[in-house]
Amino acid sequence: MFDKLISGGKLEKRVIKDIQTHIRILCSALECFRHSLSTENRQETSCVADLEREADSVRREIISTIHQGAFLPFIRPNICRFIEMVDEAFDTLEDAAFEFRYLKDDIYKIIKNECEHIAKINSAMCEILSIAFDTLLEKGDLKEKNLAIRIYEKQVDDLKFEIVDKLRHLEITNFWDGKIISDFVEYITKISDLIEDASDYLYIIEISLK
Amino acid sequence: MPTKVKEIMNVKLETIKPDATVFDAIEKLVDKRIRSIVVLPKDEKDVYGVITVRDIVFKVISKNLDPNKIKIEEIASKPIISIDKETELEHLIKLMEKFNIARVFVHEGREIIGVVSLLDVLSATLIDRARRY
Repeated sequence: MFDKLISGGKLEKRVIKDIQTHIRILCSALECFRHSLSTENRQETSCVADLEREADSVRREIISTIHQGAFLPFIRPNICRFIEMVDEAFDTLEDAAFEFRYLKDDIYKIIKNECEHIAKINSAMCEILSIAFDTLLEKGDLKEKNLAIRIYEKQVDDLKFEIVDKLRHLEITNFWDGKIISDFVEYITKISDLIEDASDYLYIIEISLK
Repeated sequence: MPTKVKEIMNVKLETIKPDATVFDAIEKLVDKRIRSIVVLPKDEKDVYGVITVRDIVFKVISKNLDPNKIKIEEIASKPIISIDKETELEHLIKLMEKFNIARVFVHEGREIIGVVSLLDVLSATLIDRARRY
């Protein structure tokens, strides 16, 4: 698919390799976060911040290479937007990991099953996003990957409703306890939205190349 | 590795006691926007049952019976059709096709632990296809 745009260009190849790395780092961070949620090991979430810093430098590299002239101008905005979406998912994951450190045990226990399930779905969605990007390069069809990501997103939406339903019955007596749990749920459920948006941009790129 | 039922089942099950009224079941079905409720065993010797929207409409509403006066045990289907949580997806699909059913309950030992619908099967199959590079 990219063949007609790359034409053996070194810059383009570098960008593609870096984008693959960028997505893979996100998948690793999501997997690490999932593990820390299930083991309830708050310290372990520091891996997310470490990986985010690594991903940030890869993202800067990608943007800078694109500005050096990689890809035809008409395709650049969508590629940049795709990278920004992945980066936003990373930022949101980092926020969720940060809130998790301060989340009260007794509150988390109420929604632990749902949160673990969401973290597992987020991780699976990232895997499919990575496969989708490779499929785009191999001239494959993105429709099925995009649909799978949308199915997962719907499942996260349903889980969010279940969490909110449970938390509504909880009496919060401290402002910060309430804010932390509210923000945590918001962040953990927003990651799938952003991965879905990133997948949509891939689809737009595919269509614009046809 | 083939997908197993336990990986795709919905563990959120609504249950109701056999001596509750059909009206209680209607309330649950409407509030939770679901189509079936698991009927709990009466005692240790009893088995699980199921009550569906279909049962209520055809056995109570269409006969002009009062849902407040009919007990769940009078119209519930027993025993429940269920499969082991380790069952493979392929086998589940064959079972659903053979019996023309849209959802199957999942058991672990004697306990009902989940339910799988046709939509769950469809979603799992599509996700599985997307994972294949």
